[in-house]
Amino acid sequence: MFKRLFDWLIQPLGLIAVGIAVLAVFSLAAYGINYTQQPPEQPIQFPHKTHAAFGVQCLYCHPGAAKGPSAGIPAQAKCWACHQQIAKTQTSVLLAPLKQAVESGTPIEWVPVAMVPDFVQFNHRAHVAAGQNCENCHGDMTKVTVAQNPQVFNMGWCLNCHVKSAGDDQEKLVKLSDCGTCHY
Amino acid sequence: MDIKISEVKLSEEQAGKWGLVIDQDICTGCQACVAACAMENNLSFVGEEDSGYGRSMHWIRIERFWEGEYPEVKMTPNQPMMCQQCGSAPCEPVCPVFATVHSEAEQLNLQVYNRCVGTRYCANNCPYQVRSFNWRDYERPEPLPNQLNPDVTVRRRGVMEKCTFCIQRIHQAQDQAKAEGREVVDGEFTTACAQACPASAIIFGRVDDPESLVSQLGRRSHGVKHLEELGTLPNVTYFKGG
Repeated sequence: MFKRLFDWLIQPLGLIAVGIAVLAVFSLAAYGINYTQQPPEQPIQFPHKTHAAFGVQCLYCHPGAAKGPSAGIPAQAKCWACHQQIAKTQTSVLLAPLKQAVESGTPIEWVPVAMVPDFVQFNHRAHVAAGQNCENCHGDMTKVTVAQNPQVFNMGWCLNCHVKSAGDDQEKLVKLSDCGTCHY
Repeated sequence: MDIKISEVKLSEEQAGKWGLVIDQDICTGCQACVAACAMENNLSFVGEEDSGYGRSMHWIRIERFWEGEYPEVKMTPNQPMMCQQCGSAPCEPVCPVFATVHSEAEQLNLQVYNRCVGTRYCANNCPYQVRSFNWRDYERPEPLPNQLNPDVTVRRRGVMEKCTFCIQRIHQAQDQAKAEGREVVDGEFTTACAQACPASAIIFGRVDDPESLVSQLGRRSHGVKHLEELGTLPNVTYFKGG
């Protein structure tokens, strides 16, 4: 039975079939890898670069980063504080979801982009207090429209920076390379 | 990458950092600590059937013992039992993947859930029998997921778990203190079990600070550390009949 299948496969039509199958697998894999690297679809195509260009600080919209574990995603009230004074807000198609959210009082469901797994307990405050700038992990937001990750947040990447920042300080190194600092 | 950890001290010299003092004379066995611990640390609700197989999951339990023959039985004081955060823990050397490791920074026994492959070796080697294993992904019907503590990992099937001395609260207090530019004050925070105890039978704090409440209470002469003869260097002190 296998011999018959093999005989069929080595004839020209069979070879084309094999070629198509290989191509299908490869393109599916390529699509899959590409898909995981895409930033998720957001309810509003929020242009980070426009806001950063106006001089809005990261901490204005994400104040939690300096105070606690979570940086936070602003509610529409914060958007509206500026946007209600901008005439374009009333007419723009791109801003229609914001206008609608404010009028109906339903929250805008932003999709978090920079995430760590559940078993990692990350604290923004400690990192900001240690002198890390937002762009060290999140990339240069003056260049992107919708937020995207410049790198994969994995443990080797975290630990690399932890070890580097500890330097020769043994006590700091013990703390920064301790499993219980991030995993509990 | 090379990480150099300062030479590991001999186990006899190793000093604990955090510790508990438990007064069995004032413990009423009300189980408030058990409930508080389950809520704080996202423990699963195992249910009747699996509990019957001895798969119940608690990070703290109230042990009861009886003395004498029936009908003259006498109950001994209730004994809350949780991970003793041993200085020289029997669970640690048996883990093949280093999922249970000693924290040099906090002097606690850590369970790293993402490393654990579920051999259950550590639980079998724990003389206090305080480790519990996730035999299944137990169901949390709505709206129960809303009460999950975001500061604690929700464990999945196939990993071991145990009392952490509420390490999330330790970190939170340390972070708070650091933000305010000061040291953590004794009694500023406590574990969920100690907080919930209506009789204050459980006291939590720094054992390496001689001025802390746990150290002062711990110096009372009738304090007992369980199974100390095994050389585990437990960090929980029990008082009975004082």
